[in-house]
Amino acid sequence: MTIFIFALKRILRDKTNVLFLTLFPIAAIFLPLAQEGWPLLPLGYQYFGVLLLFVSIRLTGIMIEDRQKGVVKRLAAAPISHFNYLWQNLLAFSVIMVIQTVIVIIGGHVYGHELYGPWNLAILYIVFTFTSISISLAWNSLYRSKESSFLIFMAVIVLMALLGGILFPMEMMPEAFQRIAVIFPTYWLSEGIEWIVLGEDRGDFLFINGVLLLYALFFLIIGSIRRIS
Amino acid sequence: MKELATIRFIGIRMSRDFITMLLLLVVPIILITVFSIILGEAEGLTGTPIRDETVVLLVLGFQLFGGAITMNYVHQDLFAERKDRLLSLPMNTRLYGFTIMLAGIVYSIVLGTILIAYTALIFDVNWGNFMWALLVITLMSSLSSIICLVFTFSVNNFKIAERLSEVYGVGMILLAGMFFPMPDNALINMFNDYVNPLMLAYTTIDQVRSGGLSDGWLNAVLLSVLIIIAFGLLLLTGRRRMP
Repeated sequence: MTIFIFALKRILRDKTNVLFLTLFPIAAIFLPLAQEGWPLLPLGYQYFGVLLLFVSIRLTGIMIEDRQKGVVKRLAAAPISHFNYLWQNLLAFSVIMVIQTVIVIIGGHVYGHELYGPWNLAILYIVFTFTSISISLAWNSLYRSKESSFLIFMAVIVLMALLGGILFPMEMMPEAFQRIAVIFPTYWLSEGIEWIVLGEDRGDFLFINGVLLLYALFFLIIGSIRRIS
Repeated sequence: MKELATIRFIGIRMSRDFITMLLLLVVPIILITVFSIILGEAEGLTGTPIRDETVVLLVLGFQLFGGAITMNYVHQDLFAERKDRLLSLPMNTRLYGFTIMLAGIVYSIVLGTILIAYTALIFDVNWGNFMWALLVITLMSSLSSIICLVFTFSVNNFKIAERLSEVYGVGMILLAGMFFPMPDNALINMFNDYVNPLMLAYTTIDQVRSGGLSDGWLNAVLLSVLIIIAFGLLLLTGRRRMP
């Protein structure tokens, strides 16, 4: 578990990271309730998925740094497999993001927000955490520079949030947009949130999480291909 | 004054930076398109189409981030990889820094003008008086560039300056209530009425749009006062840090 512990240390010794990882989830708890019946959950919980995407691209950035600085090359010559390097890093990112989720859920509960099914919400966010980490991993594999990857992904996040129904209710979108929205993981996150508030059939919730996990698997396969340079 | 002649080359460098172009032109165009399609012809409480309000705020909001171009070029040329090469040239680095700032402002104005033209021509967004809108965009991009340079000169770590510029942009958008409605608090209202450049710029455009040029002056003057204050800070901080 050396790489796992080292990844955690690398992330947490960066003061900006610590600020980013703690301040934003706490701020999300205190965001107000929606005023016109949408979104169904308090605003911080509606936008938390977007925050998870931002956090995941920031955390997975250290893997591009490893490529930029030649760490991956040195690891290739070391007695450790790429699989080990990958899963220990991903585990470190997941642990941090799951902790954030737990903070947000418990914080919201203590603060007195109506979260409908806090357990279900936690499950949904955790599954989305895996999806967002694998999307970021796949995205980073396309770039050689951490900065370019981060900046362009910021734009992609805004578009995914907008077209996936996080910022606007899907019903407001034209029909063509509603059809396209299905391809965005954020659409399934907003569907999951809607199920938590209004849904009845447990199968629907399992289906939504299943789709998100499939996305996670798909992007993990793309992102896990070893790139030395 | 040969330093000022470099503006052409700085402009060429800026125009070849595809990431900046993507973030400050392509993304706003996509966002404006999506918002315009979603909002359609719906009218707000004041009778102004919601699309007009949202699109004007979006275009002005992106101007808040225009200063990032200037700060990056100043950092690269005068504090990082090109520092030694530029210091060895027979030219005034302070004037060169000022030239970068001018180039950044002009570049930001050009991007803003393209956005105004796009929204007006494609979605028929009412900007009121075009020249007035252009003046407001000029004020916004000047303010953004100056504030971002103040951040660059105020802190030793450029990463922190970058984060501060993001806080400035996102913070103003947040306080303007674009993400979610802000609470009805006297302090926040006063900040939005007299300090928040985004709200000052929007109000001046809105006033000119609905009442004529004379009504928009006050907010434009406030915006200019902010620029003068920021420029004073820039002189103070820049004098200390410029090589």
